[in-house]
Amino acid sequence: MTTFVDVDVRPTLRAGGEPFGEIMQAIGTLKPGEGLRLLATFKPTPLFHVLGSKGFSYVAKELDGGDWEVLFSPSAPEQAAPAPQETPTTATPDQSNWPEPVQHLDNRDLDPPEPMVRILAATESMNNGEVLSALLCREPLFLLPELAKRGHGWRGGFETDGKTYKILVRIGGAQGAAA
Amino acid sequence: MTGVALSRWTMSYFVAALISLIVAECLMVAGFGYPAAPIEAPETLVLVHIVTIGWLSLLMCGALFQFVPVLIARPLYNNTLPLPTLGCLLAGLFALLLSFLQIAGIVPSHPACFVAAAALLAAGFGLTLFNLGRTLWAARPLPLPARFVVVALLSLGATVVLGIIFTLVLGGIATVPHLLNVTALGLPIHVIAGLGGWLTFSAIGVSYRLLAMFMLAPELEGPTTRAAFYCGTGALGVAILGGFAAVCASGNVIMIVSAGGILGLAGIACYGRDVLHLYRARKRRVIELNSRMAGVALGNLVATLVVSIGLLIAGVFGKHVGVVVFLIAFGWLTNLGLAKLYKIVAFLTWLECYGPVLGKTPTPRVQDLVVENRANKWFVLFTVAVWCAAASLMLGAPLPFRLSAGVMLLATVGIIKQLLRTRRLANVQPTLRLPKGVRPPHLLYCWVQPT
Repeated sequence: MTTFVDVDVRPTLRAGGEPFGEIMQAIGTLKPGEGLRLLATFKPTPLFHVLGSKGFSYVAKELDGGDWEVLFSPSAPEQAAPAPQETPTTATPDQSNWPEPVQHLDNRDLDPPEPMVRILAATESMNNGEVLSALLCREPLFLLPELAKRGHGWRGGFETDGKTYKILVRIGGAQGAAA
Repeated sequence: MTGVALSRWTMSYFVAALISLIVAECLMVAGFGYPAAPIEAPETLVLVHIVTIGWLSLLMCGALFQFVPVLIARPLYNNTLPLPTLGCLLAGLFALLLSFLQIAGIVPSHPACFVAAAALLAAGFGLTLFNLGRTLWAARPLPLPARFVVVALLSLGATVVLGIIFTLVLGGIATVPHLLNVTALGLPIHVIAGLGGWLTFSAIGVSYRLLAMFMLAPELEGPTTRAAFYCGTGALGVAILGGFAAVCASGNVIMIVSAGGILGLAGIACYGRDVLHLYRARKRRVIELNSRMAGVALGNLVATLVVSIGLLIAGVFGKHVGVVVFLIAFGWLTNLGLAKLYKIVAFLTWLECYGPVLGKTPTPRVQDLVVENRANKWFVLFTVAVWCAAASLMLGAPLPFRLSAGVMLLATVGIIKQLLRTRRLANVQPTLRLPKGVRPPHLLYCWVQPT
């Protein structure tokens, strides 16, 4: 029977804050076999992918009033073990390693696939290790394989408004992680 | 999450589907099947299955192999399986058509043909359900548009099971009284599960996402979208499961199907409201040809419903059911299919060719792969021809129907020519067409780069 540690990020979200660090910190302190019960103001879809890659399965449930409860349970122990080389063992140190973006693009009002074109064009003019930040109005599904082919790292997720997708691209840093 | 790769064999599905559409239109021009033959005649069954399996189902399967991954932000379970799947479907369709021609006495009778048709179509659609089912299963909980596709796939399963029963009974292979009963009474369920459940429901699910994507409109998952989903699913549940129960209990199938129809109308009303909202809330003011023609297809769907209700009230629905099926197949599904195909072929070709060199060298825009002015007239002609054909059917005028079908054929050839030009990059300025590192696209498959 999995025991769950509660993390309620609703106050942080309502205050306009970014709860990702809080969640990853809680994940880092879980004992073997423990799960996480997350309470959020929206369905945290991007987090499913991040914690899925760390060996957690999830069950999401919408609560009265539009809030969401997600139970993240540890899957088989071997899946939770340290991931392949290119995956950071925790997202937090990797996050701190990424420098501030040197370029910002707001591609939210562009016709598809123009957002993808502009991001790829921008990456071609940047130096190794530099980071680009871009705002989009949806998940850039066809961009991600292209970034991977070119050896760039990326990290992205919906902002708290649930409508703006923010992606960070690190040139030559093929360490993909969604957040 | 690694994003979505190109579906390797989707173009083959599109080519096979378009060839089937041309064949079906040629048969209509030649006066083969309904309305020259009765609606239940084997010749009509040939025509109907070339349209529903050869054209619409292959088009939908090809589109779903590419767009189910887009709906759920996960890769397709298997990108190789669609090729043997297509082989099974085409061989199964061919065997099925031969079986119908045997019933008509046009070719010599051979019972093995019926068995082969049932087995091959079961294998083809079974592989489709397996591949898409595994893809969707891995992405639970599913977003709403993907749930439409799940219900559509379940309906496809029901359609195929009934179709196999019919084939085996008509071929004289299955002689169990219960199955004879299903064959005698189950046709309305087969038609509703196929046209309403499989084709219409998946078109609705995918259109929620594609319309939002191509018109820069907000994604919808609100109460009306949920209502559309639940009403539609309820309608199909009542019509298919209730209808099947009625067949087994020798009850009134038409009554059950009509009860489902009322729920279905409510569902389509909610969908219509959502689509209007998408068109109104779009950020892109000037919309492309594909979105304009999708709007025409949606208008045709509404017109079909109005005509159906009118026929029901007048008590002549049974007499004119062929007109309703024709309008759903051509006014709604074919119009929508051709419109979306016009965009999808351009987009996938652009991504396949220029994706690897974007930002590294000047590349054309997606819209540079098409010339909308040239395609526009063919789409308009096709739509008008469909209306004329439907009116001819309603008035019981076979010759004007054949003439209208001829215009549909001409317009389809015009649209296909434009699609070929797009796929061959013929509309792109020669200086931009093939920069270094770009390989010309193959007609039948997408070259998928390893990641």
